[in-house]
Amino acid sequence: MQELHLIILAIVVSFGFVFSYLAMKEHDLLKALALSSVQSTFFALGFYILAAPDIVLAYLAIAVGAYTALVILAISKTERYEVGE
Amino acid sequence: MKRDVFVAISFLMAFLLISYAITVKDVLGMAENPLRPLGGFYLRHAFAPSNLTSHSPEVVTAIVWNYRGFDTLFETFVFFLSIMGALSIFRLTEEQEKEVRSLESREPHRHMDLITRATTKLVVIMIVSISASIALHGHLTPGGGFQGGSAMAVAALLLFAAFSKFTLERKGLTLRHVITAYAFGLALILATAIAPVFLYDGRLLQINLLPGETGLLNLDVGEYIAVTFGFLMVFLVLGISEWIFKVILRGEIE
Repeated sequence: MQELHLIILAIVVSFGFVFSYLAMKEHDLLKALALSSVQSTFFALGFYILAAPDIVLAYLAIAVGAYTALVILAISKTERYEVGE
Repeated sequence: MKRDVFVAISFLMAFLLISYAITVKDVLGMAENPLRPLGGFYLRHAFAPSNLTSHSPEVVTAIVWNYRGFDTLFETFVFFLSIMGALSIFRLTEEQEKEVRSLESREPHRHMDLITRATTKLVVIMIVSISASIALHGHLTPGGGFQGGSAMAVAALLLFAAFSKFTLERKGLTLRHVITAYAFGLALILATAIAPVFLYDGRLLQINLLPGETGLLNLDVGEYIAVTFGFLMVFLVLGISEWIFKVILRGEIE
């Protein structure tokens, strides 16, 4: 049973890594923000598998809700597209 | 593009190598010793008839507010300081507040379409009830004041996005009222932290002297109120449009 949990954890966290990498490479900042909240959702699943439901409750609300809203506010004061390499 | 694939694959390989080393090869030595002595202490005492009990089957809340209570108390103070910093950066005199109100009334009134607004109303009701259950049941099931409060802050954000700042202010959630509610939450936390000293000759934050789970429940409710209204306060201050701030800071009043 524990092996199964560890395998699910590995899959979920690697998906999180993939999405965080995509978020870093994205030039449209709003799309990057959406990718980063998908990554947060995968990490929240990881926390749940690690038997930390207290962290999940706070992490989901902060990482998907409050953080996204504050960064959208910051993007609205600058430009949406990252220019140049 | 080729470099991207290379970087991504090397990250994944490093991750798989580290997890293989920790789980299968057990390089950190966690397999033969799954429960440390400190963890065993918490599990044995959190809900047991002893002097060190917290009257709570939820060991995480017991650690957060009782065994490691000072950490959480100071975290609350750090949150308080950051909110006070935001408020003092965006502070306005009374005349300036009046100007902000008159300028805001001239702003074009915009809101989203009917479907979004109706869905938001339903979702907000659900979020509020779930956040209340997270916070008020935090001493029995996973959850607690901060978790409930941050869920509630998301509800406030949704109202902000689907309606506007003025809807909240019309419902009575003006900055002054929100600050009052925040102060009430902090006062509840401080009163519960000090109560054992005066009532039971205990030490600061020795809440296991209080009858039953009163201590944990009070602290959870206080933190819930403080976090909810703290976030709401920051959103209300940040919700003032930028051009209004610029007009007021430049002193260009017509």
